Amino acid sequence: MSTELCLSIERVSKSYWRGPRETVVLKDVSLSVYAGECVAVWGQRGSGKTTLLKVAAGLEQPEHGTVGFRGQTLARLSRGEMVRLLREEIGWARRSGPESDELEMLDYVALPLLKGNTLRRARRRSAQALARVGVTDCCKGRWGDLTDGERTLVSIAHAMVRKPSLLVVDDPTANLDVLQREEVMGLLRATAEQDWIAVLITVPDMPSMVHAHRIGSLSDGRLLVPSGGAEESDNVVELPVRGRGSAK
Amino acid sequence: MSAKQAVLGLVIERPGYGYDLAQRLRERFGSSGFAPTGVYSALDQLVAEGLVASAGCLADGSTERAAPRTIYEATAAGVEQFDRWIRTPSSPANVRDDLNMKLALSRARDLPALTELACAQERECLERLEALKQPPAQTAAADSRRKGLSWGEVTALLVRDSEIRQLQARIEWLQRVRAIMAKLAPPGQPRGALAVRGGGAVAGAAAASGERSAGSVAAQGGGDLARADPDGAAGAARAA
Repeated sequence: MSTELCLSIERVSKSYWRGPRETVVLKDVSLSVYAGECVAVWGQRGSGKTTLLKVAAGLEQPEHGTVGFRGQTLARLSRGEMVRLLREEIGWARRSGPESDELEMLDYVALPLLKGNTLRRARRRSAQALARVGVTDCCKGRWGDLTDGERTLVSIAHAMVRKPSLLVVDDPTANLDVLQREEVMGLLRATAEQDWIAVLITVPDMPSMVHAHRIGSLSDGRLLVPSGGAEESDNVVELPVRGRGSAK
Repeated sequence: MSAKQAVLGLVIERPGYGYDLAQRLRERFGSSGFAPTGVYSALDQLVAEGLVASAGCLADGSTERAAPRTIYEATAAGVEQFDRWIRTPSSPANVRDDLNMKLALSRARDLPALTELACAQERECLERLEALKQPPAQTAAADSRRKGLSWGEVTALLVRDSEIRQLQARIEWLQRVRAIMAKLAPPGQPRGALAVRGGGAVAGAAAASGERSAGSVAAQGGGDLARADPDGAAGAARAA
C-alpha cells in the first residue's frame, strides 16, 4: 500500500475583493490527496468549491498557506515549470468543450497531444482515451450533438489523455440522472485506482460523493470532514490516510 | 415504516426463517434502525393476523440440538395486504427533531454553544454519509455499464439517494443556521450586545430559512417535549 502524496494543501486562505468589501472564500483549509484515491468535496453554491479546485490545480495563488504537488511547492516554481506542470501533470476536465463546434471529438481529445506527437499517434491515443471512458461512439460526434453525460465523459477523456497525475473535475455529475451519475462516479473512482492518480472533485449534490474514497464538506470557506480519528485543531484538518482495498 | 410491513415484503420476495429474515432486514434497511429481535415479534403478529404462515421446517443438519427452523411464507391475504400497502400514499415523516427544539427554546446567551453544536451536528451528518458510502455496483468496466443494473440495484440506489438527500437538506439547514448565528454574533462583540432582542428571534429567523419550522414543532407540544428532554436548552447553556 503506497501513501504517495500527490496534492497537499496546507492552511490555505484566499479572499476576493469586491469593491471595498473583502469576501473570504477559503479559510485555513488543509487537504491532502494521495495517488490512487478519489476525494470529493461537497458545498453549496458560493461555498468556495471552485476556488478550492483552482488553488489545487495551481490556477490561483492563495494569500496564505502552501500548495504542494508531488513534493514541490507550487509558489516556488518558475513560470516555465508551472506551465509544464499544468500541461503535463494536472488534468482539469473543462466542460465548456472545444472552441469550435466543427471539431470532431476524436480530434478535440487529441488536441493536448499534438505538440510532440504525429496527428496519427495523437488520434490513436485519443481513441483509447474515449474508449476508456466508454464513449467510443462519440469519436465522430461534435460537441453540440452530445448529451450532458457524454460531454462529461469526453471532458474527462480530454483531461486524461496526457496521463496526468492529478485529475480535477468541477461538478462531474451536473445535469446527470441517477444512473448516469453512478456511471461517471464509478469511472472516476476506477480511474484513480487503476491509473494510480489522484482525483479531486467538487459536487453540489451529496449522493454524488458515495463512491469517493474520502469526502469533505465546504461551508463558508471552511472544510469539514467526518472525524476519523484525525487530530485536529480548529478547522485545520489533515484528512486521515485512507485505508482501502488494492486497486481493481 | 413498520418492521411488520418490511418483514411481510421480505417474505413475499422470498420465504425464509427468522434469522434469515433478520439478516435481510438489516442488509436492506440497516439505516432505519429496526431491532433484530423485532423480526420475531413481527412474524408472530403477521401469523396471528393470517398474513404469513409456516411453510414447513428446515432441519438443521449440522447440529442435532438446534431446533428446526420454521420457514415462513406469505398467505394470499398477506400478498393482498402488501399490494394494497404499496399502492397507498405514505404520509411524510413527522418532524419532531430534538435539535429544532433546542433552537426554538434557546436564549440569546446560548448562541455560542449553539454555533458549536451546529458544527458538531454537521460533522455527524457527514459521518452518517460516510457510513452510507460504498463501492459502485459494477460500474468500473465499460461493458458491464452497458448491461445496466437490475431492478433491485436501481431501487436500492434510489432509496440510498433519498437518505443522503435528507442528510444534505439537514446539513444545508445547519449551515444556514450557522451563517445566521455568525451574523448575529460578530467576532469580538460582547455576548450581551447581540443584534437581537431575545433567543426567540434567533430561532425564528433560522427556522424560517430552513425546511422545517422549529417554531411549529415547539408550538405543537412544547411543554411535553421539553420535559421529555430536560437536557436540551440546559445542556447548551452549560456548554456555554
